[in-house]
Amino acid sequence: MTTTAQPRTARLTYNRTIGVAAMQGRGFYYPWSVAVAADGTYFVLGRGSDSDPRGVRMVAMNLEEEYFGTFGSFGEGSGQAIWNASTAIDSQQRLFTSDDHMNRILVRTLDGELLDTWGESGTGEGKLNGPNGLAFNSKDELLVSDHLNGRVQKFTGDGKHLATIGEFGSGDGQLNLPWGLHVDADDNLYVADWGNDRIVKFSSSGEFLANFGSVGRGEGEFDAPSDVCVDSDGYMYVADWGNQRIQVLDADGGFVEQNEGQATISKWAQDFLDTNVEESAARDAADLDMDLMFNTDDPHERSAHIEKLFWGPTSIALDNDGHVLVVDSNRHRLQVFDVVTSA
Amino acid sequence: MASKEIKLMAHLMRRAGFGASRGRLDELVEQGYDETVESMLSAIDRPTRITDNLIRRYHPEYSGMMGNQSPSGNWMYRMVSTDAPLREKVGLMWHGMFATGYSKLANGKVLHDQIRMFERHGMGSFKNLLMELSRDPAMIVWLDNSENHNGSVNENYGRELLELFSMGVGNYTEHDVKEAARAFTGWTIGNTEYMTLKSARDSVWPYGRLSFHFEYKEHDHDNGEKEFLGHKGNLNGEDIVDIICKQPATAAFLSRHMYSFFVADEPPVPEWPYKEPRDPEAIAALSKVYFDSDYNVEEMLRFLFKSEFFKSEQARYQRVKSPAELVAGVLRLTGEFDRPKVDMNPTNLQSTYMGQWLLNPPSVEGWHWGTEWIDSGALVERVNFASERLGNIESPGVQTLIDRILSDSNGGLNAEELVERALDELSVGDISDKTRSALVEFAEVQVNQSDSGNAGPEQVANVLKLVGATPEFQRA
Amino acid sequence: MVTAQHKPSLIVIQLSGGNDAMNTVVPYTNGIYHDSRKAIHLTEHNVIDLNGTLGLSPSMGPMKSLWDAGKLAIVQGVGYPQPNRSHFRSMDIWHTAESDHIANSGWLGRTIRELDPEAKNVITGINFGRGLPRALHAKGVPVASVGNLETYGLMPDIADRMTREMAVDVFARMYGPDDTRDAMLQAISETGMGAYLGADILRTAPAQYSSSIEYEGVPIAQSLRDISQVLLADVGTRVFYTQHAGYDTHAGELENHAKLWHELSTAVNDFIADLEEHGRGDHAVVMIFSEFGRRIRDNGSGTDHGSGGVAFVLGNPVKGGLYGEYPSLDPSEQLEGDMKFNNDFRGIYATVLDQWMGINPQEILNKNYEQFDMIRR
Repeated sequence: MTTTAQPRTARLTYNRTIGVAAMQGRGFYYPWSVAVAADGTYFVLGRGSDSDPRGVRMVAMNLEEEYFGTFGSFGEGSGQAIWNASTAIDSQQRLFTSDDHMNRILVRTLDGELLDTWGESGTGEGKLNGPNGLAFNSKDELLVSDHLNGRVQKFTGDGKHLATIGEFGSGDGQLNLPWGLHVDADDNLYVADWGNDRIVKFSSSGEFLANFGSVGRGEGEFDAPSDVCVDSDGYMYVADWGNQRIQVLDADGGFVEQNEGQATISKWAQDFLDTNVEESAARDAADLDMDLMFNTDDPHERSAHIEKLFWGPTSIALDNDGHVLVVDSNRHRLQVFDVVTSA
Repeated sequence: MASKEIKLMAHLMRRAGFGASRGRLDELVEQGYDETVESMLSAIDRPTRITDNLIRRYHPEYSGMMGNQSPSGNWMYRMVSTDAPLREKVGLMWHGMFATGYSKLANGKVLHDQIRMFERHGMGSFKNLLMELSRDPAMIVWLDNSENHNGSVNENYGRELLELFSMGVGNYTEHDVKEAARAFTGWTIGNTEYMTLKSARDSVWPYGRLSFHFEYKEHDHDNGEKEFLGHKGNLNGEDIVDIICKQPATAAFLSRHMYSFFVADEPPVPEWPYKEPRDPEAIAALSKVYFDSDYNVEEMLRFLFKSEFFKSEQARYQRVKSPAELVAGVLRLTGEFDRPKVDMNPTNLQSTYMGQWLLNPPSVEGWHWGTEWIDSGALVERVNFASERLGNIESPGVQTLIDRILSDSNGGLNAEELVERALDELSVGDISDKTRSALVEFAEVQVNQSDSGNAGPEQVANVLKLVGATPEFQRA
Repeated sequence: MVTAQHKPSLIVIQLSGGNDAMNTVVPYTNGIYHDSRKAIHLTEHNVIDLNGTLGLSPSMGPMKSLWDAGKLAIVQGVGYPQPNRSHFRSMDIWHTAESDHIANSGWLGRTIRELDPEAKNVITGINFGRGLPRALHAKGVPVASVGNLETYGLMPDIADRMTREMAVDVFARMYGPDDTRDAMLQAISETGMGAYLGADILRTAPAQYSSSIEYEGVPIAQSLRDISQVLLADVGTRVFYTQHAGYDTHAGELENHAKLWHELSTAVNDFIADLEEHGRGDHAVVMIFSEFGRRIRDNGSGTDHGSGGVAFVLGNPVKGGLYGEYPSLDPSEQLEGDMKFNNDFRGIYATVLDQWMGINPQEILNKNYEQFDMIRR
């Protein structure tokens, strides 16, 4: 990846961390995706742990860590989910979630009332096999990452199939276990092509436009990227999941910066520490940002040891106020960054 | 009727791996026994079909590893998909010997890290393995070595190192235990207080579990003169390990464990001081290899698999499958986990119901093996699990088994043939006449009841279920 | 068929996760209680009063009925020296009745062995759930684990009834006695026969059962219903064990705790009524325990692990009332923010073993523990 001649200025500065580990009430348990409503509310979708159904739910909160409530539960029944995958909100403020085991999409009001359920298992046109990433275009059409079918499909909000984009493979315009999606203001589609370690861009009519990145740890290289979002200046923010970091690329795919995570104690985390004085004291006496020798050269191991780093950043999204939200799943929190537009 | 070569190869695969399908056995016999032993031994670097990234993409809990089913669920994926099953079997052996558990650590990640350490070092030098074990953060907390201080010695690790991990009771004195413990003072983990407090309180807050890391605290190490097994000096942990490895008792103890795990069930360890090994000559021979090869586990295994005592008819079916082996073996046959699926967690739980909760043993003594695996509750679980999975015609592996059994059956199989083929495909040999005649009667009714009067997939599936339910299926 | 000699039965219900004693038996007139639990305290308006200073959690109505009938004994301040706040370790301590070192066998496993030393009846003790809790484990002691009585047995996945029956028949033949087999196979076969016989006996229990009681469709109620069916079938089972999970209320406690106790109270009350209806109320004692209590101060949404819990012993043969003392909440009396125990849990074990089951508790517990005068003679 060639670097540009211009000096790179930072695009992101760390703002804060929100969230804490909790299966019930205020907190998250393996949060997997976030969607932002028009009024600024964050809807954080919990994947939960396979061994305990309580973490499978949606939590509504905001940047100030005000807790608004929770809904959704584990199961195969109406309004339930087995493997919560992704969430997105359309212009009518309907909240959509995908379940990549049940192969279906749930549609709700922002209060959690179930409006609709659709989706059929299969490989044929309009059928789903492992739907995860979700994104709406300017016409309120829903793009769904149909990952086990190696493609993205376009549906109306009530599930009528409109188009199929991409097919399984590693060539141009092909996808391998794609995950997160983003649609920009021009209705271009960006796909986190997880299995091919790159971001793929398609036009609004589904034509292949470009690949960004290739496998690796270097600047502009990815290892199993899980999500991407693009701001109005065309900067791409990539959740470089396997490398436990996020990267920023410019509109041409040029590397701008990377960040391995800088989490601090959130309000909810502080509540816990305030009530658990011994644990808080022991924590204060500990060094949680140590320089360690690892027996494997694996970012996953590094993040397991050092608490502030991203660990399993599954999703990345822009809110309405110039923030980039990173869903830091193994740490049950979101790390929030300010987008710095140079004056 | 399987040939002698097939039976021997099946025996090797049940021991050095989790079993093999009849089709695979044919391939391996073509390759040759010794060549197969070599490829099993050397297959330590092949990636598994189900990679870490793939597992973590679906199961966040097998990534963040907070809870008590996470390290075993992750391990089960590897056992089920690996191309190097011997590595996992060796890991199971070490885990049984160096049993470390969630009940005290309350942290799935550090337990998983220990198993990964067994994968990296488990087939090399035993001395190196003991060194790694002494530095393993999960072990350190499990046996309280983080509480072992200069001037305030905690003997737990020193004792178990000698009693359970190397020489065995009767080969050292209490004084040796104390001196060994003194030598390991300062061998601890970083952020000791915070980490042990989080374990004691089972704290996942605020942001999940944190992995432990080894830290040697020089200032907390007892630098005084020590005497251990006749050796004097300012001994440190590595010196203790060095001296231990030189002892014939270590060679014998390790060899007996290996024999029990790979050849034939020995009595439980607490009985070893009073009960002679089944085959003292085999133990002596393995001990010799231990020394000749400079404590090399791979060399010992090579010798073991090629030995007469292993290949002999006397060794066939002389082990009871541990629950993990039974579950993994069945799943490898059914092929139902060709990729991560939500069903893995409840499936993996079956091993717990059968009495073996991996990474959560009842104590540092691990589990009692052999017929002690088979209590009435566990047997019902084993039988029900095996019969249900092996008779599920939706599973790709079962379809393959059924196709093979029905292939070349011209006029249709009679009951005896059906049973014979099913036993052959599932590598269940040496069955008693009682078992055989009961199975044949069942098969007869199945064949007669079928629409065509011939055995079809459903009938074959039912016979497979019954084979999975036999007493003989419990054995490896 | 075993003749109905109605020997005393013990039913043990384990509340897994660490039941919050303070919000179960509530010191609702104590200011410290309200100050320490701003987020989750219960007030005089919601508790069910017992004696003017203590009240039960509002969802425990059916337990109050048992209390009013004089059948509910509440043991306060239960625990053991040097409380352990790890689920596993603390539960192990309760299971093995050993707090000083790690023991291998469970107190009920030892009890079953004492009741049936030659294992003549393989279903003397039954766990209603999957797997075998340590409490019931003892070497050589057969214990059945019944996840669901209706479907319990060998190869329940075989859909076709006749095929299944034949399969089970085949099983019995394969595991039947056979001297030609080696020692290992003989041992496996013996255990198999035991399992088969046990399953064979147990599967008749639901068919013999008829009752006007309608248990709720939740797991704990279904387990208690299964227990009732087996008890009423008179197949010689003396020890029954089951678990109710979910008590680890670190967050969202008010709602969750209420739901759990609603389920449990209703189920237990239904169970007692069921036994009564069949004239068997005098033959069973129920014991309810949890591995520890929880911290005095809440964490904003729930409570974290603590110590000093509450246990319940109930049934017709029980003298209802409060036993032991409610631990003091005074800061000077707290144990690092937790309640101190004043009753060693093994005293309850000793009481039911000695006064109810007729077994020498020293044999089981290896030590003498002070008993309660809790069982009617």
